[in-house]
Amino acid sequence: MSSAAGPDPSEAPEERHFLSTAEAAALERELLEDYRFGRQQLVELCGHASAVAVTKQRTVLVVCGPEQNGAVGLVCARHLRVFEYEPTIFYPTRSLDLLHRDLTTQCEKMDIPFLSYLPTEVQLINEAYGLVVDAVLGPGVEPGEVGGPCTRALATLKLLSIPLVSLDIPSGWDAETGSDSEDGLRPDVLVSLAAPKRCAGRFSGRHHFVAGRFVPDDVRRKFALRLPGYTGTDCVAAL
Amino acid sequence: MSRLRALLGLGLLVAGSRVPRIKSQTIACRSGPTWWGPQRLNSGGRWDSEVMASTVVKYLSQEEAQAVDQELFNEYQFSVDQLMELAGLSCATAIAKAYPPTSMSRSPPTVLVICGPGNNGGDGLVCARHLKLFGYEPTIYYPKRPNKPLFTALVTQCQKMDIPFLGEMPAEPMTIDELYELVVDAIFGFSFKGDVREPFHSILSVLKGLTVPIASIDIPSGAGIQKVGWGRLGPYPPDSCPHQV
Repeated sequence: MSSAAGPDPSEAPEERHFLSTAEAAALERELLEDYRFGRQQLVELCGHASAVAVTKQRTVLVVCGPEQNGAVGLVCARHLRVFEYEPTIFYPTRSLDLLHRDLTTQCEKMDIPFLSYLPTEVQLINEAYGLVVDAVLGPGVEPGEVGGPCTRALATLKLLSIPLVSLDIPSGWDAETGSDSEDGLRPDVLVSLAAPKRCAGRFSGRHHFVAGRFVPDDVRRKFALRLPGYTGTDCVAAL
Repeated sequence: MSRLRALLGLGLLVAGSRVPRIKSQTIACRSGPTWWGPQRLNSGGRWDSEVMASTVVKYLSQEEAQAVDQELFNEYQFSVDQLMELAGLSCATAIAKAYPPTSMSRSPPTVLVICGPGNNGGDGLVCARHLKLFGYEPTIYYPKRPNKPLFTALVTQCQKMDIPFLGEMPAEPMTIDELYELVVDAIFGFSFKGDVREPFHSILSVLKGLTVPIASIDIPSGAGIQKVGWGRLGPYPPDSCPHQV
């Protein structure tokens, strides 16, 4: 477990496939401060790419936490609707910031239903939806920070038998070590945003996508990332 | 399954505001994500895909296009940043489909993106950035830049990605033909009114003499949106709309 901000010197630079939490934060800071990307832009690009990565299930439940991962989930739900899926959102702990509020309005105006509670009986979810998108916790957010309803939702999702797609990291996993990967969420699909985090090494589901087409080449080189190429106009690449 | 979902939904829904249905089908021939317009879900909870497949494409008047924009900003609370990013990405995707890199002579293919003074220019900046990511080699000409954070940030993103900005417009069409395989016209959009002022009048004259293809974002710049469209910035019959993105 490394808490250094730079690349681990014991890893050959050509073979890095993952970012530490600190590096992920540094990459994001570079995009925001040096490249002057707005947070809205990045969240929009991540959410759109996440929607592209979703499999062919039509009815989708998107569970959104209160922070940036939840904002990406709201964007993802909207694009799923545009792609003619039938998303439903569970967003129990709402952020007050303007970005989240506007993203919520966009979903409401597009008639995407918001559940007021999530049943604890997981069989009801298995029967009602074909797929669940986990947009609850991103890297660096402590599970304790998100409050009761999200914590209870995660406990229910652990027992899911329909496929689960996690955005960026499986919620509740330690972003560095992937601990809790045994009794935590076990997603079928992981969509890494910008670049995979260290804990993705413990991912054992069927598909791992990276949604990072928008990351400039120079930034990727700076963090010595080696990732598969994107083809054509695809915004996601399968790892 | 839908009954169970209805059971789950009944009494559990917090909000789902009903959007007033736009009367005419508003599938617009314009940049940005295909906007199907707000639709009512029928009782089965499925989109009526047969209806959508048989819909004739409608072209918007300037007033209608502005009304769609106003609805997106005021009712849906989209920000300019969001829509511009989606628009520019969609344009780059459309251009990549129309002119795939494998079909072009150079590797990477060279593209000149001409950006006007308003939002159409902003769409062009986003488009240029995504074209670079798709493997093209864009160059931008951006003579009149609004002094707003949105546009300065978009310029910075392009500069940081080593996309060059020309200091002046080549005066001869042949120069452009020799250097670039494609020109993207992101000069004026649907809200353009009135006379074309310099330097854009001269720029449009140069573009009229080009032999390389032009891809216009939203409308061919300088065209009267209410009138017959202008292909290659010259008149053409209304049902042949070349390279309009």
